Amino acid sequence: MATTISFQDTKRKQRGPAGVNLSGGTRTRRGRRLRDNLTGYAFLIGAIFCFALFQWFPMIRGIVMSFQHTRRGVTTWVGFDNFVRIVQDPSFWTAWKNTFYFTGLALVLGYAVPFVVAILLNEFRHAKGYLRILVYLPVMLPPASALFLFKYYAYDPSDAGLFNAILKFFHLPTSQWMQSPTMTMPAMVIASTWMNMGAAVLIYLAALQNIPGDLYEAAELDGAGLLRRIWNVTIPQTRLILALLAMLQIVATMQVFIEPLILANGAGTQDSATSVAYLIYQHGFFQNDLNGAAALGVIMLLVLAAFSAVYVRLTTKQD
Amino acid sequence: MSVPQYRRAAALALAAGLGFSIAACSTKGGDDSGKDASGKTVITVDCQPDGSQKDLLANWNADVAAFEKANPDVTIKSVSVGQQCDNPPDFTARLTGGTMTDVFYGYMTDLQQVLDSGQAMDITQYATKDNIPTWDSVDPALKAVFTDSGKIYAIPTKNYSMGLLYNKTLFQKAGLDVASPPKTWADVRTAAKKISALGGGVAGYADYSAGNTGGWHFTAELYSQGGDMLSTDGKSASFNNPMGKQVLQNLKDMRYGDNSMGSRQLLQWADLLTNAAAGKVGMFVGAPDATTAIVQQFQGKYDEWAMAPMPGQDGAAKGTLGGGEGYFFRKDLTPEQVKAGLKWIAFEKLTPGKGQFDYARAKPQNQPVGLPQPLLFANGSDAQKQELDQRKANQNLPTENFALFEATPVPIKGEPKNAQAIYAVLDNAMSGVLTNPNANIDDLLKTATTKVNQLQTAGS
Amino acid sequence: MAQDSGTRTLISQAQIQRGRGKVVYWTLLALTVVIFTLVFIGPLYWMVTGALKSGQEIAQTPPTLFPKHPETRNYADAWSNLNLAKLMFNTFYYAIGAVFFQLVFDTAAAYALSKLRPIFGNVVLGLMLATLMIPAMVVIVPQYVTAISLPFVHASLIDSPWAIWLPLVANAFNIFLLKRFFDSIPEDLIAAAMVDGASPLRTLWSIILPMSRPILGVVSIFAVTYVWKDFLWPKLVMPSPETRTLSVGIYAFSGGTPMNVVVAASVIAAIPTVVIFLIFQRNIMSGLTAGSVKG
Repeated sequence: MATTISFQDTKRKQRGPAGVNLSGGTRTRRGRRLRDNLTGYAFLIGAIFCFALFQWFPMIRGIVMSFQHTRRGVTTWVGFDNFVRIVQDPSFWTAWKNTFYFTGLALVLGYAVPFVVAILLNEFRHAKGYLRILVYLPVMLPPASALFLFKYYAYDPSDAGLFNAILKFFHLPTSQWMQSPTMTMPAMVIASTWMNMGAAVLIYLAALQNIPGDLYEAAELDGAGLLRRIWNVTIPQTRLILALLAMLQIVATMQVFIEPLILANGAGTQDSATSVAYLIYQHGFFQNDLNGAAALGVIMLLVLAAFSAVYVRLTTKQD
Repeated sequence: MSVPQYRRAAALALAAGLGFSIAACSTKGGDDSGKDASGKTVITVDCQPDGSQKDLLANWNADVAAFEKANPDVTIKSVSVGQQCDNPPDFTARLTGGTMTDVFYGYMTDLQQVLDSGQAMDITQYATKDNIPTWDSVDPALKAVFTDSGKIYAIPTKNYSMGLLYNKTLFQKAGLDVASPPKTWADVRTAAKKISALGGGVAGYADYSAGNTGGWHFTAELYSQGGDMLSTDGKSASFNNPMGKQVLQNLKDMRYGDNSMGSRQLLQWADLLTNAAAGKVGMFVGAPDATTAIVQQFQGKYDEWAMAPMPGQDGAAKGTLGGGEGYFFRKDLTPEQVKAGLKWIAFEKLTPGKGQFDYARAKPQNQPVGLPQPLLFANGSDAQKQELDQRKANQNLPTENFALFEATPVPIKGEPKNAQAIYAVLDNAMSGVLTNPNANIDDLLKTATTKVNQLQTAGS
Repeated sequence: MAQDSGTRTLISQAQIQRGRGKVVYWTLLALTVVIFTLVFIGPLYWMVTGALKSGQEIAQTPPTLFPKHPETRNYADAWSNLNLAKLMFNTFYYAIGAVFFQLVFDTAAAYALSKLRPIFGNVVLGLMLATLMIPAMVVIVPQYVTAISLPFVHASLIDSPWAIWLPLVANAFNIFLLKRFFDSIPEDLIAAAMVDGASPLRTLWSIILPMSRPILGVVSIFAVTYVWKDFLWPKLVMPSPETRTLSVGIYAFSGGTPMNVVVAASVIAAIPTVVIFLIFQRNIMSGLTAGSVKG
């Protein structure tokens, strides 16, 4: 039985659930509101259940675990012991150093390069579709597949490796790649960039396409050269997306895990590839130290939170 | 969309959801009572050979069939967990997640880890002659390794000790005497130089430096120097001394002094064996069963490989690394399941003439027969005599290949407590020396010592 | 694909069509096309042909551009020894389930948050979006511990597809995208449905969903791709060789398998997502930019 919407009904409902009128049944305003809310939550319950189980609850549990120690089924509270132990792990500082190095290098290669590429691609009037497909293709590969390609073929330290063969072709010195402590990190960043830059390029491209053409006209009429136009028009116009992607990239690269695992068998030669994420994995799943791993996770959370806070402060200050 | 269409679509969605749920729930399977529908006792056993080891897999399956025929009330479900039955991170993950099979494979060094996880079952009362016919003949030292506080938790099924494996063909090509392999590390160095001079990417001597195997070999080589990994109370590292330094120095000399170890390093268990099978390795430290792996998994030739005792620094080796493996039982199994598991292990691993000791079957399959290990039975016992006789009768390996190794016993030291974690730490020292020409051996050992001390005090 | 001359970018159309600009443009274009092809297709080509080479040929210096005697043995070995058929089936099964559950629960949640707006809906949305700030590696250990032993019921999700499906439903980005899309659907449409006496479910089904096909398509494709590419979480919660996913399975075998076979397996594993990409590239690219156009 349909209920006609009267003007008064509509007005009343504007304070309640938006525009939804449940027919029949509850007569009282409160009853109707309750039923509306229940229906709303009925739709939400599935997602809420999964969020609670796998996001909210684990977040709290991780913090709790970092202050506990579980052995043979018995759990005790140990205060900051886990944190102390983690910090005293000789690989702790190396892992942070490596991770920051990776993040920094990735900012140069994996952040600046895609932006430049996007600017370049935006200028082309032809073959754009083809180039976009090419640049995004590696993103669709399973990381494990792509990394095995790099590990066995590209980074082969002998002259039979793809990269070494190319270097030799240009009469450049070949490299030991993953077997050299100094080349390990750059090699990982190169592989990671190759695999992931496509997404960034496409996002930048979309942002670039939204820049009004007249700004460029005006700049050109003012006599601004190419680089000046980029500096004065392109970058300010894409400031928000640049800031957002920078932050997303930094947060993501700080958690680098699969590159050390597959390319460097984890720690790499002389610990040159150990990342904080790999250390978490090592403690949690190699050394049976889940509490220590949780503690390291909390430390990572604090570092990332501090970074985000500083970052947001810096970027919003400019406004 | 009209009401009937809406209903149909809703029904479809519901069916899909239910379908997923049912499929998902049923794949979990697992009956707690250990019995299947027909009342038979069911046990799951892992370390079934994987697809690439065709003969071994066929043998295993044939054995399972034969066992089930002889024990009609038992069903065995075999699981292959991959090429390395105990791949440390996976093994730890299985323990943590409780996803091991009922009867699961583990190394001798895993006992503490298994106990700590609370997943092991005490099988002392079941480990008797009734369930394992040859139990009294099994070497007591091996039983002791799997015993804690007087309780037995696993059955030993293989043991090994390390020596020096060398490729006879390459020795001949390099003009070295096959019957007189290197006795000291200096000899190894000389031989390695000659073999790598053959060129073609051949490494005179190869060693591991990744996947915990680097540390494993460091330990073995340290033992050959007469050193120990841990202090007597097991609480601190004790390899930062001239002996430990010598181990790394020997490797450094060969790697960068003579360039006789090949350019590809960071080798894990399978990498080195792959190279060896391809004829690219002159010598490496290993146990006799490395030959089996080379032949079975990596398509090498068994008659190419001979074995010498572990080299020492100034003469005979002062010790060598020995270890082994066995099968644990997961907790909460029913008595029938435990008995079934024990009977299966006895059949497959501890019965002369059957399973792993079925030499008559192995010979035509071109598996190496005549290896000096495993030596599971106590000296002088009936079972041992039987096994040795059958071995000799079906031997396909030239006797001289392992004669020297067998004739020269070297004191065997077991693996250190918390072995796998310690090995992971020493991987770094090994990889440092093998990939960095400017590596400072003192620093490497110092870092490793700090880490190992931490591990031992953490005790987790 | 020529750009419409109305939109102007860094360099004007006129400059490109004239004299020196024209030469620079075409040279740069040609150079870019060649370099991109080499950089992005090159390694893939190397991967595919490398797996066709024999063990000796791959170790040759200098490496050959094309295998002398292409042999498919590595691919055949990879298929049978690594049990790729089972791995592919598993991954496919998880992917389809992921799409289903994400579509059902995330759409319902986005609809509720956008249209039904129950009380405290904003709080719920805020809590959900807050999870975007939680780095994955920070929660992975407690997530794993939860999967081993669920609170209250103490059941284990290990080796069960639910261990993959349930966490994926908790995808704040999806909900954000869907909600934004739903927000843009005009109220009058909903109101009209109300007049006809439609229940919220009916409205969702008959009005909103048909209009949302593009965004639902994007969500689906991203869900499939994500499951196909995911590595660490499936490695932890699907350890058994029977339930493993493709990437994890290949990695598990990589220690003991000849490298050419591992690469052959990697090639086979990459084929489905590449095919999906080539078919759906427009949707994928538009989906990528959907979240970013606002900047």
